[in-house]
Amino acid sequence: MDYIDPHIHMVSRTTDDYETLARMGCVAMSEPAFWAGFDRGSVESFRDYFRQLTEFEPKRAAQFGIKHYTWLCINAKEAENVSLSREVIAMIPEFLDASNVLGIGEIGLNKNTKNESTIFLEHVDLAARYNQQILIHTPHLEDKYQGTKMILDMLVSDARIERSRVLVDHVEEHTIQEVLDRGFWAGMTLYPITKCTPARAADMIERFGTERLMANSAGDWGPSKPTAIPDLIMELKRRGHSRDLIRKIVYENPCEFFSQSKNFKAPIAAP
Amino acid sequence: MSQDPKLPARSAEKVLSEEFFIARSKILDLAATLDRLERADGSLEALHQLKLLEQGMEILLDDQSDKAKRVQLLMSRPYDPDWRKNYGLH
Repeated sequence: MDYIDPHIHMVSRTTDDYETLARMGCVAMSEPAFWAGFDRGSVESFRDYFRQLTEFEPKRAAQFGIKHYTWLCINAKEAENVSLSREVIAMIPEFLDASNVLGIGEIGLNKNTKNESTIFLEHVDLAARYNQQILIHTPHLEDKYQGTKMILDMLVSDARIERSRVLVDHVEEHTIQEVLDRGFWAGMTLYPITKCTPARAADMIERFGTERLMANSAGDWGPSKPTAIPDLIMELKRRGHSRDLIRKIVYENPCEFFSQSKNFKAPIAAP
Repeated sequence: MSQDPKLPARSAEKVLSEEFFIARSKILDLAATLDRLERADGSLEALHQLKLLEQGMEILLDDQSDKAKRVQLLMSRPYDPDWRKNYGLH
């Protein structure tokens, strides 16, 4: 089945992974800006990274017929450096007209600190001023519940933000309901150990339905599996769910959400 | 919370037959982890993480629903609605 991975960090993957993803049915992906595995020292590092996301990765993906989109920001881990963060935020508009940019992301919190919150609010302001969609990173493990609620507090306090244009990623059993109830989109990140398994994601689909819900693989530097979405497809098939339901989660919903960005064009997918 | 009524439902017998060996394997992993802890040197009495595991296992065995969500909340830092005021962010 053709699908879209709405959150995958291809800069950390090999070209062989692109080929494997194409063979598994991936027709498009979106890659949020994130941590490089180490803290970068200057705004020029981010300028080079944004060139990688807007120039190099789309070409690498295109070799295998995959359409590559991206989101720009300085991630929450590096937001502790407030002065560098502000330099990066000031530089981001240089790239907003690139043809594969969908918006600002993945912004969010990591350890739920004051500095992270300050930089999150400044990213939200940037998105509002430039009419950009937003992709949100919620913290992991013991920080997720607190951090997700803090993020939602900040988003709803800004009247300029349209909730239907915000995707809140890494939701789990204790955060998904509030995200959906407040009118945002939600993304479940499938991960071997620390996040959500395909079986638990299938449980959440069965409990919360298919509206405004997506799944992604993250596919980052850590132990992760870039082909996790096909695993979810298999799990849903095994449970007897229809092709229409599965296609809504892995293809139609990403298309509906991303179509709110002027740069997104729905890929041609097999029905 | 029950399943979305619009979706096909598997019977309890079917779920159990399909999931039994997976659940059995996870219980064995947990049991072996506890055995490993018991064999290791040092005292475990004051370890916060062990207490969390024990409380999590109590949730698995009680008669209430929403077990995954309740385990997640058990393992979560609390949310303070006044956090913004405490940080001086307006």
